[in-house]
Amino acid sequence: MKNMSKALVLTAGLLANNAQAEVNFNGFASIVGGVTTSSDEALYGYDDNFDFSKDSLLALQASSDLGEGLTITAQVLSRGENDWNTEFEWAYIAYEPTDNLRLLAGKQRAPFYMFSDFLDVSYAYPWITPPEDLYAVPFDTFDGLSVIYTSDMAGFDTTLHVIYGGNNSDMIFAGRNVNADINDLFGLTFTVTRDWLTLRAGYFDTEINAKSAELEGLGQLWADAGYTDINNELLISEDKGTFLELGFQIDYNNLLIVGEFTQLETDTVLADDDAYYIMAGYRFDNKLVHVTYGAKDGSTDRLTNDVPAGALDGLISITNGATDAESSDIKYVTLGLRWDFHDSAALKFEYTNYTDDLNGDQDAGLFRTALVTVF
Amino acid sequence: MNKIKVNMLLLCGLLGCSSLAYADVAVVVNLNNSTTLSDSDISRVFLGKLKKFSNGEKVTPVNLKFGSATRNEFEEKALKKSSSQIKAYWSKRVFSGKGKPPKELGTAKDIMALVASDVNAVGYVDASTVNDSVRVIKTF
Repeated sequence: MKNMSKALVLTAGLLANNAQAEVNFNGFASIVGGVTTSSDEALYGYDDNFDFSKDSLLALQASSDLGEGLTITAQVLSRGENDWNTEFEWAYIAYEPTDNLRLLAGKQRAPFYMFSDFLDVSYAYPWITPPEDLYAVPFDTFDGLSVIYTSDMAGFDTTLHVIYGGNNSDMIFAGRNVNADINDLFGLTFTVTRDWLTLRAGYFDTEINAKSAELEGLGQLWADAGYTDINNELLISEDKGTFLELGFQIDYNNLLIVGEFTQLETDTVLADDDAYYIMAGYRFDNKLVHVTYGAKDGSTDRLTNDVPAGALDGLISITNGATDAESSDIKYVTLGLRWDFHDSAALKFEYTNYTDDLNGDQDAGLFRTALVTVF
Repeated sequence: MNKIKVNMLLLCGLLGCSSLAYADVAVVVNLNNSTTLSDSDISRVFLGKLKKFSNGEKVTPVNLKFGSATRNEFEEKALKKSSSQIKAYWSKRVFSGKGKPPKELGTAKDIMALVASDVNAVGYVDASTVNDSVRVIKTF
């Protein structure tokens, strides 16, 4: 929290430097508690001890209109799961030469999914968090450039968003904390909205580098045994990754239906994931009841198929274990209630039943509740 | 019959039904503003999607305070959304850096005073309070 105030003072100082510029502050917060329904279960970082930190967060956003179409925006965010350390989530300058064109430069959100733009603003969507098994790219922001073009064609609002940049922060890859280097991230999304219907498609590709001592150690053993090709497969270096997203949203009177499909493929030992979910909700005045069904298939190739059995059996077994652990056949159902009990705050309750047919240890039931707010 | 009524009341109590009786809402512009706005234009202006009148002049929407009965009614009828949906909508726009909600004023009198002095302004007030300092372009 000390960092938060420091960051804020710094931001405010930067923005207030221009005496004429008016600085707008907005914020959002989620306090989320969760517990699994049985002692041997763990899901999305929760276990059978009630936890209040995993999904809890507090953010402040400062933006200043510098005039002539130029704005500067900074968002600082503290997450409970990172001991409430404060980080700059966003820091960008936007330039709007016309009403339809917006150029962004700096640290900004990567528009991978339907709810990317306000990913951490739980107040802006029905769930406590969007479905974790689909919102699963290991990073959410990038440093670089965006071009956003919006237009209104015969009652259809369209948005074209093109990005180019990279990200070199620490990320969780396959459960391991790695120092990743995402280069040449290129992406394009197109969104069409008309009245109650929104359709969206996105495509991204990138080069991935990631240092993992574990994979490097394993690769070295293969190199020593004369299998340099397996070593190369294990190292995440200049590997290509692609991501495709398709989504729709129907918001008709009291009915809300949302669906997304994603396909994540990489040339690495990480799994190729196909995921989807569909959510249906109904509003009863200030309460929204919703149900979500989702699935994810993660497939990996074994690297050791050409290695003869015998002397290297131990190494084969460890390596197959590492790749097989990436495979998944996940299905989940989430039942939820959102109650807008206050002008700027909502209470949410959710129960998720989760199964992984390739890894029975992962089956779990999770109950979560959240108080979310914007200010 | 009584049983059904009681059940409906219970349902309302549980789910929180909004009250049904409202007065009309008048959308008002400056007397010197001769442009028109269709129903869809009015909705797009107050959602921050339409930024100019058909004559190319900038349009500045002005809201009544959050929670006011006239505003709730305007949002139900013109924007076809509940006030909490509108709040969520603006939180999406604000936190994605795409815009900020219209300025808010406290009373119909304030709205009409501002609209009377600003040729670009569009506001709405309870239809029964409209005076001749502004022009009504639509009544919902």
